[in-house]
Amino acid sequence: MTTTTPEVRPSRKKKNLSNDRLGPFGRFYVTLMVGGVLIPFIPLIIGSFAFRWTWPDLLPSKWWWEARATARLPQGWDYIFSPVSRVVESTGNTILIALIVTAICTIISLPAARVIAREKFRGKSFIEFFLLTPLIIPEIAVGLGILVTFIQLGLAGTYAGIVLVHLIPTIPYMVRVLTSVFQGLSRDYEEQARVLGAGPLQTLLRVTVPMILPGIIAGGLFAFLISSNIFLLTFFIGRGQIETLPTLLFSRVSGGGALDAVAAGVALIVCIPGIILLVITERFIKEEVFAKGFGG
Amino acid sequence: MHNIVGRFFTLLTLTVALLLGSAMAQPTGTPDAEAFRDAFLAGNLSWDDVLERAAEEGEVVWAHWGGSENLNTWIDTVVAPELAALGVTLRTSRLTNTRDAVDLVLAEAAADKGVGEGSIDGIWINGENFFTLSSQGLNFGSFADLVPNAQYIHFDPNNPASGPNLFDFGYPTNKEEMPWSGDQYMCAIDTARLDRADAPSNFEELEAWLRANPGRFTYVRPPQFNGNTFVQTVLYALNPDGTSFQPFQSSADEISPEEFIRLATPAYEYLQRIEPFLLGGGGADGQRGSPIYPEDQNALEALFVNGEIDMACRFGMYNTAVAVETGRFPETAENVIFPESGMIKNKNFIGVPVNAPNPAAAMVLANLLASPENQLSKLGAIGYVMGIDADLLSPEQQAQIDEVAPSLMGITYDELGAATVPDTNASLVGIIEGTWIEFVERRTGSLEEVVQRVYADR
Amino acid sequence: MASASSQQPIRTPRRPLRELMRRFYVPLMLAPVVITIGVLFVGALFVALLQSFGHAPLYGIQEFPTLKYYRSLFQLPGFWSSVALTFYYAIVPTIVGTILSVYLALALRKTFRGKGFVQFIYKLPLMIPYLVGVAVTIVLFGNGGIVARSLFALGIIDSTGDFPRLIYSHAGWGIMFVYVWKQVPFTTLIVYSVLMGLGRDSEEAAATLGASKWQTFWQVTLPQIMPGIVSATIIVFAFNFGSFEIPFILGGGFPNTLPVEAWRAFEDADYARRLRAMAIVMFIGLMSGAVLFLYLWTYRRFERARGRQ
Repeated sequence: MTTTTPEVRPSRKKKNLSNDRLGPFGRFYVTLMVGGVLIPFIPLIIGSFAFRWTWPDLLPSKWWWEARATARLPQGWDYIFSPVSRVVESTGNTILIALIVTAICTIISLPAARVIAREKFRGKSFIEFFLLTPLIIPEIAVGLGILVTFIQLGLAGTYAGIVLVHLIPTIPYMVRVLTSVFQGLSRDYEEQARVLGAGPLQTLLRVTVPMILPGIIAGGLFAFLISSNIFLLTFFIGRGQIETLPTLLFSRVSGGGALDAVAAGVALIVCIPGIILLVITERFIKEEVFAKGFGG
Repeated sequence: MHNIVGRFFTLLTLTVALLLGSAMAQPTGTPDAEAFRDAFLAGNLSWDDVLERAAEEGEVVWAHWGGSENLNTWIDTVVAPELAALGVTLRTSRLTNTRDAVDLVLAEAAADKGVGEGSIDGIWINGENFFTLSSQGLNFGSFADLVPNAQYIHFDPNNPASGPNLFDFGYPTNKEEMPWSGDQYMCAIDTARLDRADAPSNFEELEAWLRANPGRFTYVRPPQFNGNTFVQTVLYALNPDGTSFQPFQSSADEISPEEFIRLATPAYEYLQRIEPFLLGGGGADGQRGSPIYPEDQNALEALFVNGEIDMACRFGMYNTAVAVETGRFPETAENVIFPESGMIKNKNFIGVPVNAPNPAAAMVLANLLASPENQLSKLGAIGYVMGIDADLLSPEQQAQIDEVAPSLMGITYDELGAATVPDTNASLVGIIEGTWIEFVERRTGSLEEVVQRVYADR
Repeated sequence: MASASSQQPIRTPRRPLRELMRRFYVPLMLAPVVITIGVLFVGALFVALLQSFGHAPLYGIQEFPTLKYYRSLFQLPGFWSSVALTFYYAIVPTIVGTILSVYLALALRKTFRGKGFVQFIYKLPLMIPYLVGVAVTIVLFGNGGIVARSLFALGIIDSTGDFPRLIYSHAGWGIMFVYVWKQVPFTTLIVYSVLMGLGRDSEEAAATLGASKWQTFWQVTLPQIMPGIVSATIIVFAFNFGSFEIPFILGGGFPNTLPVEAWRAFEDADYARRLRAMAIVMFIGLMSGAVLFLYLWTYRRFERARGRQ
């Protein structure tokens, strides 16, 4: 960093970059972005409480609560929370599958990440590239190729089959995040522990794991996020027998009926795991951790 | 720290166990399922025996089209408790396409899964799907007249009224499927946007109306059954011999490609000609644009409800009434007779595949669904037409029909009856949809080329 | 590990099991992920590859090896339109989204009222499935959707037909909107964290030397965040190129994007058509891989030319 001689003073007009305030155009832009995120949800929320909302009404001509008393069949939110809609079941499936996928993904990615981060070995860049290829090849290629095999193996329509296919898109992210976590981890602490007489397992458990735990959690959250949002692979392998929130939403939205109260309601419910994840990550994870491994 | 390790390993073990367990949970075949089937079909079992065995089996898997919330609600609130009272748990598999269930049965048959070893007990089925199963010999057997509620269905081949029960899309059912419901292809309009008087009543008027009001109509994309039926309707109406549905009752083996080409040319050329004037079309001859064909009837109705199209045609005699009642359609929606030349009417059934894992429960399901109480309940609650024959019911039950049936929203039963025509032969369905896809949608060649190719591929 | 201070270089072979484990340490650690990806992912692609060349005993087709399915595919009317369409829907939102994201990331560095809330909320689309974006697009931008109804209420349009066709059309505005809506948070997140990691030193130095803000951005900031941008755009493009459910629902029908065509070939017709689906799928993978490889290679060359390794 250059030092300035006393004669050359920085011009008064130059702003101190660290306290830079956003200009009016920037504020407008940010408002636009935030609006772009939030405003689309408004008609969705309104639609979920609508009984009749046909063209050209800007607001429902009849609201859900007005029709509840006289309706013969449960409508809107009543239907969504009834067992018929299978929303609760789908939510359970989504969370269960995502948890299992996250667990397995973490367990198998940890050793690989550790080795990739620390060791030099032949074919290392090939392995790194290999582990990224699932991000480049689209899901449909995997789905079509694997479907018939799974049907023959009896894995189609089972939780096991879905968990297995969910591993494919989650492993690349998990390995990347964990690799950069290990890369950022100085080996000194581990070496000190060994010097002090700790065995390898003790070192692992008492020194390494606590230090990488935030990274593991971040990677785990990412894997959970990916798994809970996967549609195509679950749709193919689940074959209608196992419904998750994305497949449930697809059956509603592909009817083009997003103005239908139930579809709107399901769309909102599908957002709930994401919102919870958002809150968790906001509180506990710093942004840098997420982008580690992608920032170059 | 040890806690974490312990928890990790427990989670690992549980996970592995869960995966192994679910991968190994295959249906086990029972040799006495064969015995049950033989005994039942020979008529050697009493209904109590069947009920007893069904309670032993404990569950029944019913695969049905899951796109109607009303139907799903009715099934869960009416059918499931009744079955539970008999000791049978109902498990439904909601399909986006009945063909998926047929595919699964075919795959299981190819894997040598026999009676009692498959995964589907009952399929809501008709038409070419039933034809596929039948032609491969994958039906359970001629069970339909052996269950108690068969008394409400005409099965006597000498009685003309048994036609719809014995022939499904012109193909003999052999009583291997049990009538459950029925339907007629109906068109709904929104009288706030389109007057009854202005609504077209045949295809010439439709074309004229489309040219004057481009972009206000479309139909479901074949091969979805609502799309197919529209194309069939056009075929009937534009039949150059004027014989409407007659020639299309013969099977694909009986109609040569050249004959089919001759009969179908006006219809397919019509469908190509009106493309620019459909929703999303270019609006003028020669400007095809991007015509929008919705994937299924729900998407079609969404376009209707959103004001993009003024007329929506789909299966659903009472659909408009139910939709208005549940808030889906505007209150000004009504039905019209379109086209006058014929609105296709058919029945649909409960089929039982040969490798049903719970055959007795499947029989119980088929029987229960055909009971007059359930048929009336289905009609009244969700507007699904009855599959059993009304003239076999008691006078009180017949009176109930009139009470519970929803409104026809602007047309009468007589008008409907006068315009009723049957489906084409089941074996023609694939040809009709294949031709539409290749000729109308993809424009891969002339009609002659396309039909020859479709015939060769079947 | 501090070894016993021995001046003799003789290594006494200690527990042979240990030696073995050392040799195989790396492969052993890598085995679980490699096997999983190898079997599931590569295996699936391999099956699809074989089938695309005519090996499908399950369907009763044993024509391996044959190029017939690829040939008939390339000769299909509309196939190359599908290819062009798929590229178009992939490239445009990637570029637009990246521009929007970089600007947003830069804005997030500065202070403004409500910054905490913005930092929280801008990530929301990232956390929810694409299908929610699709639902939202249909509700907003459909010809009978909220925007159209508002215009109708204001008297600007007379009917749904007057509203420009944003969804269910080949122009694909709706499709691209969903991609941008979902992907701006992703790219912003990455670029922002890179920016955070970089600190302001170089920029402050440039400013001291008299560079304008524009110059600072182009010549100092942008090259520094380029690696992040490249990583993000690779992932984003790959997704857009291969995505199925969004063009399936919001697309304009035939000719469809390649993934939708693959699905149609698989579902619509008889079993023999499924081999065409495999050919399409192989083609998609090849295209996607080739484009991204080219992109990365060009970037690496560009970086080397600028003197960075």
